[in-house]
Amino acid sequence: MARREEILKDIQTRFREDIVDFFDKSSKRVYIEIKPESIVRVAGYIFKELEARFNIASGVDARTHLEILYHFSLEDINLLISLRVKLDRENPEIDSLAPVFKGANWIEREIHELLGINFRGHPDLRRLLLAKEWPAGVYPLRADYREWDRNAIRDRGV
Amino acid sequence: MYLVYLIVYGVIATACIGLVASWIDRKLTARIQYRVGPPFFQPLRDIVKLLGKETLIPAGSSKGMFMFAPIIGFASVAVASTLLWMNSGTSAQSFLGDIIVVIYLLAIPSISIMLGGFASGNPVARVGASREMKLLLSYELPFILAVLVPIIKSGYSLKLNEILRTQSMNGSFALSISGILALIVFVLVMQAKLALVPFDIAEAETEIIDGPLTDYSGTGLALFRLMKNMLLFTLPFFLVILFLGGFHLDGIRILYSFLKYIAILLVITVIRNTNPRLRIDQAMKFFWGPVTGVAVVAVIFAILGM
Amino acid sequence: MSITLNALLKSPWVFHLSTGSCNNCDIEVLDCLTPRFDIERFGMLLTGSIKHADVLLVTGSCNRKSANRLKVLYDQAPKPCVVIAIGECSLSRGMFIHSYNCPVPLDKIIPVDAYIPGCPPKPEAIIAGAVKLIQKVRGK
Repeated sequence: MARREEILKDIQTRFREDIVDFFDKSSKRVYIEIKPESIVRVAGYIFKELEARFNIASGVDARTHLEILYHFSLEDINLLISLRVKLDRENPEIDSLAPVFKGANWIEREIHELLGINFRGHPDLRRLLLAKEWPAGVYPLRADYREWDRNAIRDRGV
Repeated sequence: MYLVYLIVYGVIATACIGLVASWIDRKLTARIQYRVGPPFFQPLRDIVKLLGKETLIPAGSSKGMFMFAPIIGFASVAVASTLLWMNSGTSAQSFLGDIIVVIYLLAIPSISIMLGGFASGNPVARVGASREMKLLLSYELPFILAVLVPIIKSGYSLKLNEILRTQSMNGSFALSISGILALIVFVLVMQAKLALVPFDIAEAETEIIDGPLTDYSGTGLALFRLMKNMLLFTLPFFLVILFLGGFHLDGIRILYSFLKYIAILLVITVIRNTNPRLRIDQAMKFFWGPVTGVAVVAVIFAILGM
Repeated sequence: MSITLNALLKSPWVFHLSTGSCNNCDIEVLDCLTPRFDIERFGMLLTGSIKHADVLLVTGSCNRKSANRLKVLYDQAPKPCVVIAIGECSLSRGMFIHSYNCPVPLDKIIPVDAYIPGCPPKPEAIIAGAVKLIQKVRGK
């Protein structure tokens, strides 16, 4: 317990200007919202100095903005830290974490092709999951996605 | 005259007995695993069905060798089996050196599977064929040494009916020390030649995809399966001639011949069901190490007359 | 009935193909091949290569990427060949009917001969479907 408090107080003091909101939800989960410009600094600190494990990143389309959450876990104290960044819908861009640790490479490709967020500095931003004939510029997980395929059959035929 | 022998004995009789032997093997395996096995005509139905499917030739393969490889294997087993049958009838005809011809002909089925695997342009087939090649290099030496023992014991003669005559006069070779050692070596090498567990490294190691036979469909696959079933008859037949006194087709000795063959088949099936599959390097160490050693000891005992 | 089709029904070799399923139907198909239900008494063997296959057991709702691969694989199965669609996802895409990645159901891509519903179908249901298929082909 003491180590958990120590770590959280350390993050809060070190990145005082970057943290927008700090939500200590329970003893196992902490949501820290930071500004998009400081993602590389904060994530680098949590990954390298605290030696947390990068689990996954998840992207969401909230109606007014786009969000990415980066989940880091510290297994020895049972803590999951989620870093939230909010991006605007017209031009969503953020610095890539792939140069910092390799585990972010594929998940950023996936978020890019499904939500349309541009990652600056990513070495290889190609398509990961969608098929070759998928048109460019259509992002299926956005709230305003509409069916573009004329040959799709969407009724069950009964 | 020889053509009649070839067709009737070499192809038809061997194929029929081979298909029945394959059924016995599958049914016994199923019973050991607490299940019901296939019905009696199942291996024949497999081959008839395969003859009715279309044959697909992959685009990146060398087409001539791809189509020719099963024919090579099938022909060599038919001729080898004819040579063996010709010494068991009443008009036994064998020529000097026919045992060497049989040894060469029985090495060709593995080579034809290898050729087929390399001829299809498939990397999976290539890996399977290269494993088959390594296995072939490792079991040919103990095979030749094990065949050398009956040759020595029947007075250094290279004719099959000399071997049979010596056995009918002096008792079968399996009742002497060198004979038993050579018999054990021959059974292990036979398991590898028939590509059965624990040595079916080429065929089912890439277990989800079928090894060198991956790209074969239709007629080619039917010929390969028929070749394997005929080999299931030919190799134990060779063993019975060399070590156990041969088949005799007159009177009560038909029953003894039948029992000898069934006993060898049971040994093959039991070894097949109670062992895991070896890796290729373990199999090579096994054949170059203990098996060759036992074979050399058997040859030395045979030279000393025991 | 022709002799080739007769021989095909007596010794059908099975190939299992998953086009993006959640693997539940695959587990049930695997249950069918275990010694408890023993399909070797019907002459069925599980083959590894598509070129040895007579019966294709297809599970999973077909998404765009696996539709391309499925067409290539279906061309490589030597005809005559029977296709059985197992599970709700391959019948009509199940709950993925409005998904952006599954545009058409399976029988618009390859011709299907038997449909086995269930999510996942029990092994007894799969065997019953196979028996009905055999009776339908024989009765033709």
